[in-house]
Amino acid sequence: MIAVVGSRHDRVALSLVDRWAGARLLSAEDLVSPGWVWSNEGAAPRWVVDGRTVDDRDICGVFVRRGAVLADELLSIHPDDRAYAAAEAHAFLIAVLGSTAATVVNPVGDGALADDAVRPDRWMAAAEQVGLTVRPIRLSDRPRRERRLQQRVVEVVGERAFGDTPERWRRGAVDLVGAAGLVWACCVFDGSGRVIALTTAAAPSEEATAALGALLSQTRVGA
Amino acid sequence: MTAPRRVLVWGDEDDPPIERVASVLADRDVDVVRIGSALDDVGYDIAIAPEPTGALEVAGAEIPVASIDGLYLRPGPPAPARMPAAAALSALAGCLRGPVVNRPTAGRSNWSKPFQTHLLAGAGFRVPETLVTTEPAAAADFAGRHGCVVYKSVSGIRSIVATLDGAAHDRLELVRNGPVQFQRWIPGRDVRVHVLAGQWFATAVDSDAVDYRYPSHEGQVAMDATEIPDDLGRRLVALTRSLGLLLAGADLRVTPSGEWYVFEVNPSPGFSVYEDATGQPIAAAVADLLAGRGWPASPAALRRRR
Repeated sequence: MIAVVGSRHDRVALSLVDRWAGARLLSAEDLVSPGWVWSNEGAAPRWVVDGRTVDDRDICGVFVRRGAVLADELLSIHPDDRAYAAAEAHAFLIAVLGSTAATVVNPVGDGALADDAVRPDRWMAAAEQVGLTVRPIRLSDRPRRERRLQQRVVEVVGERAFGDTPERWRRGAVDLVGAAGLVWACCVFDGSGRVIALTTAAAPSEEATAALGALLSQTRVGA
Repeated sequence: MTAPRRVLVWGDEDDPPIERVASVLADRDVDVVRIGSALDDVGYDIAIAPEPTGALEVAGAEIPVASIDGLYLRPGPPAPARMPAAAALSALAGCLRGPVVNRPTAGRSNWSKPFQTHLLAGAGFRVPETLVTTEPAAAADFAGRHGCVVYKSVSGIRSIVATLDGAAHDRLELVRNGPVQFQRWIPGRDVRVHVLAGQWFATAVDSDAVDYRYPSHEGQVAMDATEIPDDLGRRLVALTRSLGLLLAGADLRVTPSGEWYVFEVNPSPGFSVYEDATGQPIAAAVADLLAGRGWPASPAALRRRR
């Protein structure tokens, strides 16, 4: 089974569930439902996916579409307790994704998920490491006129790059995604080939969706 | 004549670690720039990059980013209107070249206790048997097998560690509403180890309370400076470094038979309580690091200094 970790209100997550054979949505409500068993004693871990209990060994791949569990998603929890329950569910999700033997895209980074794990200090250091030039991100509380940037996007799945860009940008994007500890991401360049952003917030393209589906449905090592 | 080092201290004056580090830095003729958690006198026009540029404005004074040699931060939450300023400062903290105690992203493993336990076990430390579950039967089975069990929060939200006594046992059905973390109770003596670059300061904590941070009455907790095995200290130094931290507060327990368990690593330790009890110069060591002594920390610095 492929577990897509996302919200029931996330159309991209729902479309990936439809697209990938055997995929199911792991919602916020699943994280606060009975059935989870996760221990460090060697006992078989159990998940709850789409309302059903699933053995960890039956999960071959996980695609992460959320950076956090939001209190407002936990409608089964008393409103006074939702913020605490969301923090606990989020922390538990990090632990599960950080220790399962299933392929997780993208893996937990520095104890965080999705774009929260790909903050500028992390991807900029990775870009520097692989020899890419970074376009500085200006943060200011002074009034200023926004300039529209010419943007070119390279989407990466593992060693494969998608996007109509020069080959050296594609190679650089693959190196950057790997150096940042990611499997799938969109690398955004400006017209001069400087990296503007590395993000996992976008919807995967058709080509990337197919590549991700193949990657996530691979049988687990040792299964 | 060279300009004095300039260190930003971001946090509130009534927070003892913040106040002590700022005070030691000032005594050492470091130019200390204070930023309160409210951020109401802070402006920013900065460029985040591997070599950040731009300037902050603090209480009307311009502070070029290039002039900042170090940063110590333990801020409280800002007002909602100042969240963008907090985000900008956090982003800057992530990429400043000098010592930052600690970079905001470095300690996030502490926000998921079982995730951090997994990292600790992977680094070769002994950790308690742990179960996180929403299944009452699994919790009851775990408690039955281990006899004495504690439960605590899964996330970094502070909770009081408590033993699963008869009354709590009767409430196990409630775990169906959300994940709860259970751990085998480890008997022994608590030891808090503050790890800083290549050195460590160990404090033994004697208390009858299950969670010594919450004693049932005053005077119930006794703290004394203690020794830990050198090999353990070195491994804690390596762990701290691998987590990207310059300062950490590691919570350990040593059993009567001499086994060392590591429970968690706190990336923003309130070390002043331990400093008061033992006289260990932790604030001075943090200030040393920020003042450029021992930075960058090298493997050769893997020695205790007390």
